[in-house]
Amino acid sequence: MGTPETSREPCPDRIIDDVGGAFGMGAVGGAAFHFLKGIYNSPKGARLIGGSQAVRMNAPRVGGSFAVWGGLFSTFDCTMVYMRQKEDPWNSIIAGAATGGFLQMRQGLGASARSAAMGGILLALIEGAGIMLNKFMSEQQQQPIVIEEPGATMASVPGLPQMGHPGAEAPSVSSEGSSGSWLGGWFGKGKEPEAAGSGSETKVLESFDAPAVPTFEFK
Amino acid sequence: MSHPMSSSDHDHNNSDPVPTRLYNPYQDLQVPIRNLYQLPTSPEFLFVEEARRQRRSWGENVTFYTGCTYLGGAISGGGVGLVSGVRSFEAGDTMKLRINRVLNSSGHTGRAWANRLGVIGLLYAGMESGVQAMRDADDVWNSVAAGLGTGAVYRAARGVRSAAVAGAVGGVLVGMAVGAKQAVKRYVPI
Repeated sequence: MGTPETSREPCPDRIIDDVGGAFGMGAVGGAAFHFLKGIYNSPKGARLIGGSQAVRMNAPRVGGSFAVWGGLFSTFDCTMVYMRQKEDPWNSIIAGAATGGFLQMRQGLGASARSAAMGGILLALIEGAGIMLNKFMSEQQQQPIVIEEPGATMASVPGLPQMGHPGAEAPSVSSEGSSGSWLGGWFGKGKEPEAAGSGSETKVLESFDAPAVPTFEFK
Repeated sequence: MSHPMSSSDHDHNNSDPVPTRLYNPYQDLQVPIRNLYQLPTSPEFLFVEEARRQRRSWGENVTFYTGCTYLGGAISGGGVGLVSGVRSFEAGDTMKLRINRVLNSSGHTGRAWANRLGVIGLLYAGMESGVQAMRDADDVWNSVAAGLGTGAVYRAARGVRSAAVAGAVGGVLVGMAVGAKQAVKRYVPI
């Protein structure tokens, strides 16, 4: 195991950081957007002043909206982690749905349910994208390890993907299954010449000669 | 009664004048065994990357300060709004109407205060990290400069004099806060 993930605080303090981060993103992004919009909408000669006025009027509001969304999401996420006692993508999805529903609660049950569904779907998409990215990155890391040492013996080469697998994180466990079968297929070809020449004393452990010509008999 | 053996040992030593001397169990060992009992007082880190970090990164600074000021503004603004909402109750209001008034006014005031304080926190944290990166030092003066800058930028739209006054107020407030924190750390026994 390498350095643990130290960029995020543990759960209760994480809420403060998430509120601050969301407000910062909303304020800076809103400032840039409304500055450009203010410049566009101002008369010539007063563009910069118009832009800065638009920023002063709108950027804190946008930042505040982001901060409310981010703070509520983080609170619900930490609550789900505490209730379920595990770290899952499901926590984030349920938290997104809860945030969406909570923010529209005053508009009634229908609006609240629709907003909750939208929040849940949005977070499911984000989490799904994150999981696929993780899978893709860990598959890329496992491939070069196997290809780099073609001269190693049969005993050590299966050791490498096995060392790689426990080192991978939990979300890539599902990728382990798919890449394991791919690797198994790769080593399966190497095993056939050994079975064919098993009568001799010296066993060739790894053979990179051409494999036996496949027959079409059923075994 | 719970330690009969030790009490009897004590009695034995005091009543019978058998001379005793303290035995140093490490007297014949030539190893630096005393180091075992001299523990470091600095924090002990497990990973080199954590031990090498000396100060907060700018991201941590910004998110922490902004989050604290935003939440502080939200809570205090919400409280003030709650009070003013309760004060605005009229006779003959139903419960639903009262809840509506309270939610509206506390939400309105809470949002307004939270946004303002959040902007101030964001400006301050950004400037403090910027000044620290430029000076490459960990001082009180980073914070004071950041306070000056925050006050000036926050009131820049009202004119130069207003900006200067606000900058001075900000610098003085931050200086007092940092001084108070150092005094508390030195003199208050917590």
